[in-house]
Amino acid sequence: MNRRCRAGRLLVMVLLCAPAAVAAPDSLTVATWGGAYEASQRKAYFAPFTAATGIDIETAGYRGGVEPLARNADRWDVVDMTMADHRRACAGGLLQPMPDGVLADAPDGTPPRQDFLPGSLTRCGVAHIVFSTVIAFDKRAFPGARPYRVGHLFEPDLYPGKRALQQRPDAILEWALRSYGVPVADLYGLLSTERGLRLAFRRLEQIREQIVWWRDPAEAVRLLVEQEVTMASGYNGRFFDAAVVRGQPLEIIWDGQVYELEAWGVPSGSDAAAAAWQFVRFATRTESLARQATWIAYGPARRSAARQVAEHAATGVAMQPHMPTTEAHLETAIRKDADWYARTRGRLDERFNAWLAAGTR
Amino acid sequence: MSTVGDSGAVTAGRLWSVVRGAAAVIALGLGVGTLAALAADAFVYGILWLNDWLWISPRSRMMAGDWAWLAAATVAVPAAGGLLVGLLTRYLVPDREPQGPADVIEAAQRGHGRVPPKGGLATAAAALVSLGSGASVGQYGPLVHLGATIGSLFGRFSRGAPETLSCIGIGCGVAAAIATAFNAPIAGILFAHEVVLRHYSLRAFAPITVASTMGYVIATVVLEREPLFRVEDAITVAAWEYLPFIGIGVGGALVAIAFMRSVIAAESAAARVPVPEVVKPAMAGAVLGMVALWLPDVLGIGKEVLRFSIIPGAFGSAELALLLVAKLAMTALCLGFGFVGGVFSPALVIGALFGALVASLLGPVLPEVGNLVAVFAICGMAAVTSSVIGAPISTILIVFELTRNYDLTTAVMISVVFANLVSYRLYGRSMFDKVLQARDVDLSLGRDQLVLDRMPIAPYVSEDYVVARRGERCEELRDRLLEADAGEAQLVAPNGDYLGTITLGRLLRKMERDGQRTVDRIAVYDRAALRENASIRKALTRAERNIGALVPVLAREGRRLVGVVDQSTLVRAYRETLHSIRSEEHAA
Repeated sequence: MNRRCRAGRLLVMVLLCAPAAVAAPDSLTVATWGGAYEASQRKAYFAPFTAATGIDIETAGYRGGVEPLARNADRWDVVDMTMADHRRACAGGLLQPMPDGVLADAPDGTPPRQDFLPGSLTRCGVAHIVFSTVIAFDKRAFPGARPYRVGHLFEPDLYPGKRALQQRPDAILEWALRSYGVPVADLYGLLSTERGLRLAFRRLEQIREQIVWWRDPAEAVRLLVEQEVTMASGYNGRFFDAAVVRGQPLEIIWDGQVYELEAWGVPSGSDAAAAAWQFVRFATRTESLARQATWIAYGPARRSAARQVAEHAATGVAMQPHMPTTEAHLETAIRKDADWYARTRGRLDERFNAWLAAGTR
Repeated sequence: MSTVGDSGAVTAGRLWSVVRGAAAVIALGLGVGTLAALAADAFVYGILWLNDWLWISPRSRMMAGDWAWLAAATVAVPAAGGLLVGLLTRYLVPDREPQGPADVIEAAQRGHGRVPPKGGLATAAAALVSLGSGASVGQYGPLVHLGATIGSLFGRFSRGAPETLSCIGIGCGVAAAIATAFNAPIAGILFAHEVVLRHYSLRAFAPITVASTMGYVIATVVLEREPLFRVEDAITVAAWEYLPFIGIGVGGALVAIAFMRSVIAAESAAARVPVPEVVKPAMAGAVLGMVALWLPDVLGIGKEVLRFSIIPGAFGSAELALLLVAKLAMTALCLGFGFVGGVFSPALVIGALFGALVASLLGPVLPEVGNLVAVFAICGMAAVTSSVIGAPISTILIVFELTRNYDLTTAVMISVVFANLVSYRLYGRSMFDKVLQARDVDLSLGRDQLVLDRMPIAPYVSEDYVVARRGERCEELRDRLLEADAGEAQLVAPNGDYLGTITLGRLLRKMERDGQRTVDRIAVYDRAALRENASIRKALTRAERNIGALVPVLAREGRRLVGVVDQSTLVRAYRETLHSIRSEEHAA
């Protein structure tokens, strides 16, 4: 059994490498998100991949959604998508199915299926990092008791001040219902009922006057730093950057973090699929993911890599306590139900906008 | 090994038998516990999967919200599920009578410990379809029965005393199923003893504990399942607040009685509906689906309703009352019209709604109650459920293990105790006992009566008695009786038919006072005469009012006399039975 497995894997390796050796493309086009994130990717595995295979990595700007893939104008070879979009693209036939044996075992031999976080493996690809929407607060605003639970967002009497929230239903509905003591596992079941949504919006109503809406993630950090708000929702990587790298007095509440997976897929239009999968294998190796985590505070989607996370490469800060995937942070973490959002997006937005409009009347 | 010289061999032998006994206990507990836990888990997650797949669960309904046919599916799925259940019951379930906890209790109480595997599996399949397609029935009854089926099989194929081991195996299966479903091992152990075995012996306790722990370990460690209902809030209860919990207990008992009566009323109503049995569940399913279009909360097990009931302000009073009535009616409809499932989960939902209703009615009078909705709802849940299943101690333990909250558990204790006091007086120990009573199995008489009921008198029938013939002279019979040192004679016709009994006293009196010459008109027909297939229990009740010290025993049909049973023999049989029950219950 074991031997056959190994033989099979070897065969896949040969298949993956052979075309690269025979007709290796000069370069691969990887669609990704730019900024500090792309920089971390380049240092962690774009450059090492080129060094190992001689294949250059060119990047293309991607800003989410499945439409760019549908148009297929850019001839991308690999695309870095959120899990919700990845699943939608996969279901729509915009991504190629992932061949067996693409993924590498962990250094200790743990097979991928057990090493990756639950929900990481799909028919069309694999998740590589976890990023998280969290609440951060301004330490200067709460010199006494500091907020430490999601519910404190909805208690302006205890924790006064404005709150900066992203202007979309994502994460705040989960937090609103969670504040009633609903267990994490039951959140989406309850949010699926009229009663659950009503309760969630009732909570939001309680802090309507205190909310400052943001759309650009950078805005969340700016509002906190400039003391326009005392609490804000945002992406954990940016809060980390502000607090640790730039030394701002912010702190993240990890309770109720809403984490999402970011996944690799190969678009149907790619004509260098073999090299593309070879890249996916390289980029999702334990050491690649662990190395990326020394540049940015997004958690590796492999347990073996999460355990190896060391210090921030520039500041020397230990990264482990800042990762969404650290054991202690996962206790009450909410895994964003990508499927649920994918299927309910239109109705949720409609309801959310109606609630927004009701307040401005 | 031997350290004590002469007695070494004895010690080693005894040690060996102790080790073997312990190994058997562990093997039974581990085997039954593991299998029952896996079966229970597969059952529970099978239901969840079907609910997601068939647009029953709120999440799947929300995700299909854009789909034009969702309303049609809401009616069609329970109806189609009902039809399938009707067919399964008709063609697969033995005697077309789905089994449940009542049958498990009967098997354990009668002491034979047989839970037929065919009936068990067919019932589980029908229950899976019922629950999967959204019927408003419970999942724990089928789970308990499934566990018991597995346990009974283990006992039957073991060496030694198969009947006793089957009963213990049943306890193990039940305990493991409950421990797995609720992540509550202690409640599993107590449930098996309180509801099924109804006695405590170390011999049963040890393997049941092993099985229950195994169920817990498999659920939490191996499969990493979340408990089905968890309360995270820290709850504190003030002294005066215990008063309303008494009220919830009493009110909960009345709700429970209404629930149990409705289920039975629906059953008899269904029997009067002139359509084939096969389509009755489908009819109930269609009605349920139509109600669900307007009140989706009535579908299925109602996990979301339970959760909402402990959130302050999730429901208005009118909404709670409406949903309470609707859930009760739909459950009665589904169970009465042939969906297969239990009463535990609907009782939880109905009780929670009742508790929340009390809290919301008290709210305007006592503002503090507003924050206590969770406590009220959980007390209501426990009060109604414990009355329905007749398990106060297990219910308290389930609450304790799920919440790990001492204050809440003490509040629940008060409600549960008062609920059981009231429902026991007004209705009976439980729904299961009521079902068994309808089958002439009265558990309130005690286990000894059931065991005696199962023991035939045949081994105790004696052919050693004095026969009197028609036309025999009185003096002659008197002399023969004195000769045989007997107190009575049986008058028998030439064809062997029993004609009556003549006691010595009566014989002498008739000779002296009335001057009777022959025995013919002295005999009195003993109406307490038994058939030869009668049970000891029947013999004992007959012996209370028979003539003389011997009870005549007749053939299965006709009046042919086959022997007599001596009252003293019956007393001995009774004592022996009691002794065997006691030794089973006190065995280690």
